[in-house]
Amino acid sequence: MFQAKDFKSDLKPIWCPGCGDFGVVQAIYRALASVGRPPHEIAFVSGIGCSSRIPGYTTAYGFNSVHGRAIPIAQGIKLANPSLLVLVAGGDGDGFSIGGGHVAHVVRRNLDITYIVMDNQIYGLTKGQLSPTSPRGLKTVTSMYGSVEAPMNPLLNVLAYGAPFVAQGTPADMTGLSQIVEEAIRYPGFAFVNVRSPCVTYGTEADQIKEHRARMKPLQSLGHDSTDRLAAMGLAQHYCTELHTGVFYRNPTPPPTMEGQLQERQRGLADKALPRHKILDIFVQK
Amino acid sequence: MDDLVVGMAGSGGDGIVSAGESLISAAAYEGYSAIMTKSFGSQVRGGESSCRVRISTRRVHNPGGLLDVAVALNWEDFLNFGAELPVSGDTVVIYDTKTGVAPADIPLVGVAPKEVFAVPIAEMAREATGTEKAKNTVVLGLIAGWFGIARLSMLRGLEKKFAKKGVALVQANERAFVLGEQFAKEHPLSAPRLMDMPVAPKAKMLADGNDMTAAAAIFAGCDFFAGYPITPSTEVMQFLTREIWKYGGSVLQAEDEIAGVGAALGASFAGKKAMTATSGPGLSLKNEMIGLATIAELPLVIVDVQRGGPSTGLPTKSEQSDLYTAAFSAHGDVLRPVLAPTSVADTFDVTVEAFNTAEHYQTPVIILSDQEIGQRKETVDPIDTSRVKLEERRRPTESELRDYARFRMTESGISPVSHPGMKGGNYQGAGIEHNEQGNPTASGKLHAQMNEKRFRKLTPIKARRDLFHIEGNPNAKLGIVAWGSAAGVCREVYTRATAKGFDVKLLVPWLVYPVAEEIYRSFFASVRAGFVVELSHQGQLYRMLRMFIDVPPGVVSLCRSGANPFQPGEVLMHLREAAVSLQKPAASIASE
Repeated sequence: MFQAKDFKSDLKPIWCPGCGDFGVVQAIYRALASVGRPPHEIAFVSGIGCSSRIPGYTTAYGFNSVHGRAIPIAQGIKLANPSLLVLVAGGDGDGFSIGGGHVAHVVRRNLDITYIVMDNQIYGLTKGQLSPTSPRGLKTVTSMYGSVEAPMNPLLNVLAYGAPFVAQGTPADMTGLSQIVEEAIRYPGFAFVNVRSPCVTYGTEADQIKEHRARMKPLQSLGHDSTDRLAAMGLAQHYCTELHTGVFYRNPTPPPTMEGQLQERQRGLADKALPRHKILDIFVQK
Repeated sequence: MDDLVVGMAGSGGDGIVSAGESLISAAAYEGYSAIMTKSFGSQVRGGESSCRVRISTRRVHNPGGLLDVAVALNWEDFLNFGAELPVSGDTVVIYDTKTGVAPADIPLVGVAPKEVFAVPIAEMAREATGTEKAKNTVVLGLIAGWFGIARLSMLRGLEKKFAKKGVALVQANERAFVLGEQFAKEHPLSAPRLMDMPVAPKAKMLADGNDMTAAAAIFAGCDFFAGYPITPSTEVMQFLTREIWKYGGSVLQAEDEIAGVGAALGASFAGKKAMTATSGPGLSLKNEMIGLATIAELPLVIVDVQRGGPSTGLPTKSEQSDLYTAAFSAHGDVLRPVLAPTSVADTFDVTVEAFNTAEHYQTPVIILSDQEIGQRKETVDPIDTSRVKLEERRRPTESELRDYARFRMTESGISPVSHPGMKGGNYQGAGIEHNEQGNPTASGKLHAQMNEKRFRKLTPIKARRDLFHIEGNPNAKLGIVAWGSAAGVCREVYTRATAKGFDVKLLVPWLVYPVAEEIYRSFFASVRAGFVVELSHQGQLYRMLRMFIDVPPGVVSLCRSGANPFQPGEVLMHLREAAVSLQKPAASIASE
């Protein structure tokens, strides 16, 4: 019914030629076409960063908000109108540094939101500073003698928070990435996709498309059972050294979503309401 | 007697606040006008607690000043509340004999009340119920006995309160009440002080400001609330958590203040009326998101129930020191309406107005309440809600959707706004500057045009006379301006001063920002002396007015730091001085 081009806007991306994010937005077009919801029923929220420009390159309703706060805004949208398809996207700095405090909570609430992080392990928009996922020892303009901080592990963190769907992809494998994004969107609960999206300008040489193609290890080829959360965590430990792609964990019995439970509560209490214009009767001394 | 102020203090388990609640409920039921404030020590549980209940046959606007009745279950706790429970020579002092203090030796400094009663309160409670828990019921009996207030309603209230715990407890408490009452009858006051009957013996509403904010939000069509617990605003969220589901709405207790305002903004983007509530520290954290609501032109209501600041400040005490931050904070050229209620009753109107303004102008609106209004209980006369019009944001028509531009330049500056789910209305909401379509721009020209649009659309609000309460002789030379909880004090000052023959006028704004220059200019035109009354160290409204208009030199700032609200007598004294200054010959004023 829909084709990938139906989700592509006329806006020209600000990304550098060769940026991994071009692949991510392509994968999103394809996944959305396959899922088949019309653009006006999609709300696509982002924060700040190169990758956070992404909603504008789609025909969906977009909200390019403030740094690190895409998740709170997306939660408000989803709770206000659970029938919308809600996507959140942003970079590793947006999601795991300035906005890191929100991730644990959207996960434990289990809203049916898909969160795509374009993880390039660097701050690109501000021109090459250390990010929360930058490897130890990395020399950048803010770590001229090498980073002395351990990178955080997005996969392991989100798994530990209890996310029912966790996957990783790379634009080096467009078919795989599109499938992962589609599966994440279709998952009836919170879904997290970490995309290792190379920064051609400030990223390391080992973290480029060509190198990804050589290094990537599809989890399927390793015989990983994606219903096994502990096995997923075992594999996710190698985030810094290995490039595993595919679904790490998919809870086969999706836990209840927050919005689903609240809708049930709303239905259960609907007949107990005073009409809105009589709400003040609550205060009358009887 | 038409006005009675009762102040009571005791330890945590004494149930002194519960007694206050019984008293004000009974008063409300009988049709009196009443206000109750409470105050606690810093302990989470136990410790000292106190309350003040003012009951009147006329509408009361503030908790009053000096106490007519002081009840001390023990003196240490009573004295801890110092200025909150001021005693005068005319105060009837009631205390528990158990404290072992002789009436001549009560530890009050600088006053010698004429009527002092040592009452075996604990002993009577034990006699009636077998425990001392019913001390507060004995106190209610004493008050009913001496002041003739709401006897039947209080007995009825006791029955309701204890019904669930069994008939025996109801009867025991009735005995405790009657013992108190009998004691009062056997020890009459030297001059009787019986309360007059209420003018209209019809039950009034009883609410605190925070509950009223929440109820008004539901009335106005609020479908989403997100917030983070913070004193003294949390009751707004608690009320909505109880009620909003019934209307198909939702509450999110967010992980932090930023997420609270962010989720509310998201809900607004999705097309719903949304609100968040906080206090000073939370408002500081929400600033960036409020700026985003401004540039994204999304309706959003933010409640700030002010407490003493800066930083943690005085979390449980009132202050009016967030006006600057409410008006000016968030970086960049921002403008948003700030509305301040002055009582629980008009918290309803202000909250509905905030939603209407937010929706109409597609803007964040801050409701600047304060701890005193938010947490005090107040009787409220029936509100005719059928006169209240509710506004919805201007949504695009079918034909506007064919060539839709979210931020279209219109004459009013207000552009039709779509929301996800609306076919053809797809657009990019953004914190980044944008063109009419919503696409990002770095053009200085577009930025200037958009800034101008965002300011222009709010201009009409400054002409809203109905957001100002002005009374008195238009040509009066004495003028008082007061906002928030201080306005409740000044309304009484105005009434008392006018009754005494002062030629004074009063201006109380609900709209505290933007400054409505013309309305203030015309008010100040005749004024030669007076003040702007507010509970903050700097006198923020006074200084803000001077940013925008020429305030007459004789009008000064009457301000002080928070915690203890102004008292009518205190402001009246300053008014007298101002009046005297006007009576000096012109020459002597000029030489000063």
